[in-house]
Amino acid sequence: MGDPKLKFLVVDDFSTMRRIVRNLLKELGYTNVDEAEDGAVALQKLNAAQFDFVVTDWNMPNMDGLTLLQTIRRTPQLKHLPVLMITAEAKKENIIAAAQAGASGYIVKPFTAATMAEKLEKIFEKLGKTAA
Amino acid sequence: MSDFAGMEDLLQDFLIEAGDLLSGVDNKLVDLERFPDDLNLLNEIFRGFHTIKGGAGFLNATELVTLCHLTENLFDKLRNGELAVTSEMMDVILEATGSVREMFSQLEHGTQPHPADPALIERLKVAIAGQPVPVAVKAKAPEAPVKAETPGGAHEPDWNLLYSAVTNAPAVREVKPEPAKADIEVIGPAPVEDPEEIIKHAIGRRSSDRPGASAPGGRREGERQRDNSIRVDTARLDQVLNLSGEIGLTKNRLNALRSDILSGRNDTETLHALDLAVGQLDLLVSDLQNAVMKTRMQPIGRLFQKYPRIARDLARNLGKDVELVLAGEETEIDKTMIEDLSDPIIHLIRNAVDHGVEDAAERRANGKPEKSVVRLEARQEGDHIVILVADDGRGMNAERLRAKALQKGLITDEEANTMDERQSYNLIFLPGFSMASQVSDVSGRGVGMDVVRTNIQKLNGSIDIRSQQGKGTTFIISLPLTLAILPVLLVRLGEQPFAVPLSMVREILPIDAKEVQEVGGRATMVVRGEVLPVLPLAGLLGWEQERTPEYGVLMQTAELSFILAIDSFAGREDAVIKSLDDFRPKGVAGVTTLSNGQIVLILDMKEVLGAAGDQRGVARSSLVKKNVPALVG
Repeated sequence: MGDPKLKFLVVDDFSTMRRIVRNLLKELGYTNVDEAEDGAVALQKLNAAQFDFVVTDWNMPNMDGLTLLQTIRRTPQLKHLPVLMITAEAKKENIIAAAQAGASGYIVKPFTAATMAEKLEKIFEKLGKTAA
Repeated sequence: MSDFAGMEDLLQDFLIEAGDLLSGVDNKLVDLERFPDDLNLLNEIFRGFHTIKGGAGFLNATELVTLCHLTENLFDKLRNGELAVTSEMMDVILEATGSVREMFSQLEHGTQPHPADPALIERLKVAIAGQPVPVAVKAKAPEAPVKAETPGGAHEPDWNLLYSAVTNAPAVREVKPEPAKADIEVIGPAPVEDPEEIIKHAIGRRSSDRPGASAPGGRREGERQRDNSIRVDTARLDQVLNLSGEIGLTKNRLNALRSDILSGRNDTETLHALDLAVGQLDLLVSDLQNAVMKTRMQPIGRLFQKYPRIARDLARNLGKDVELVLAGEETEIDKTMIEDLSDPIIHLIRNAVDHGVEDAAERRANGKPEKSVVRLEARQEGDHIVILVADDGRGMNAERLRAKALQKGLITDEEANTMDERQSYNLIFLPGFSMASQVSDVSGRGVGMDVVRTNIQKLNGSIDIRSQQGKGTTFIISLPLTLAILPVLLVRLGEQPFAVPLSMVREILPIDAKEVQEVGGRATMVVRGEVLPVLPLAGLLGWEQERTPEYGVLMQTAELSFILAIDSFAGREDAVIKSLDDFRPKGVAGVTTLSNGQIVLILDMKEVLGAAGDQRGVARSSLVKKNVPALVG
């Protein structure tokens, strides 16, 4: 279990989806959540304040989730951020693209709090290992 | 029993947001027909279906997911240039959006959507496969729709395994399609042909819904549910918060001053501070009222965006080429009005497409471009919102309208002879008047235009017609900005105060009996060269004229200017309208409470004039005549 004070940024252009993700995070005990409606807004927020975790959709206007992920990985002060991709796409090439871009995890919609908890757990586990 | 117990909130959010999204998609599809290669459009439509699919997954609406997924796949190929848009493909896509809309309405009623028409699914798949799409055939032997992807975790790749794998050779487990579902209910929508179907599909309502079919104010249950929430710009909400904070501070200041005064301090300084604080509170409260009002304001574009598709489908159905041009979508209007305007505008558009514009042959013969344009425009004019539905068709024929009304026994010979063009146009608002000599599928049931007017009037609005033979017809709807607060002028008859909308008041003048002249049997007054009828309020209300009115209020409506004769007036007030739900006497818009606690009736001038107005136009008002002696003598 991660620290409940972790600050999440949920990125999705569909506000209903942001709300779903926010609720799931809340179920898991994470209440420190901010939202952004696309990659561009997300980057602004990431650059302006300290975040510990990014949960992003793939398909968005202005800047999509993959580009956001790539930009995060290229930016020195952001590149260590765990990024969990959430998408309705279960295509092989998408998953590979996400992995190559350095995603920390990938969830296919729809999913439950349990799935999300499991994903987060894995990511924290891995982070813990790298840190240790 | 709802299929969505515990998820109602989510469902409502989804329906509102996805509904908007789908309307946007519909509009883009209409654009796509014109620019089939526009990559931006293709991308946006793709994203629309993709997003809806994502949300639907959380609601376990598998059928909706399946349909959106297929459509999305088709657009994926289109945007990647693997396929090109054909007109058959457009038909399939439009049918698919119709089906999505249908599923939304099932969701709205709390049930899981039924599977889409298997024939539609099949045609989508054929289109995706890049084969020529067969023309819609009604439910042939249903081939089971294969769910292309399985939502949920079952087939997810092991992420850690994958992560290490991608660096070298990708070794992802194949995502297997779920076994085909065996039995499928054949329910999906029939190929769109009936205009009611078109509208139903486009806006997701029952076919029996017509403008005005619903009882006044009584919305259908499902809709009521959806109507309860509103999306507000956070900046506006912040302003409300900010203002209420400021008011709190001012309240504290007043409390402190009260203690001071109660403890005997009443020097000039304290009183001045009190004056200042009360003045500030006054300002803040009116700012807050405005800010709260603004949270109810929504861009009318949200309403407009569903119309191009309807217009397109209707026109296609009638074999016409019509483009609906939207303007002023950013104009803001009270949310309740947006909902109540939906049906009347549909009817006006339908009317324009059906009766307004000519078919291609006639247009060619008249030297017009074959494609006709219907404009739907909104703009703010002062404290009114004006909505125009304008076509470039053949225009209305006043002569024929009168003949028609005469033939139907709606007016008398005498009335017909005294009507000017505008009054003749307004005949179409009479109940039982159908303009088309041949009743067509799309409109012309003889029901509708009168209901359109009634519905507009319910919103304190008015509707007017401009028409030019050969050039086109324009319907002009004029609405108040909001229904909640109404600046009024208080007038008195004897001791009884009445409130009239300030927006109609141009000026107040004393009535000198000597200046009242009779023109054509009607009392009139000349104001700066303009001859205006004098209408005593007492007469309009059906009261006995007890004394000669002393003041006249020069009022102006879209139709006419006149002088309302009253005994005295008491100033202006911002009335908060309390509507009289069950009991609504004709001519009374509602009631309001004055600062002294007195209750005042707010007059609906259009309705008050309505009775007199129609008579004046048609049969000569006996009302005004009767009161002339009292006035002059």
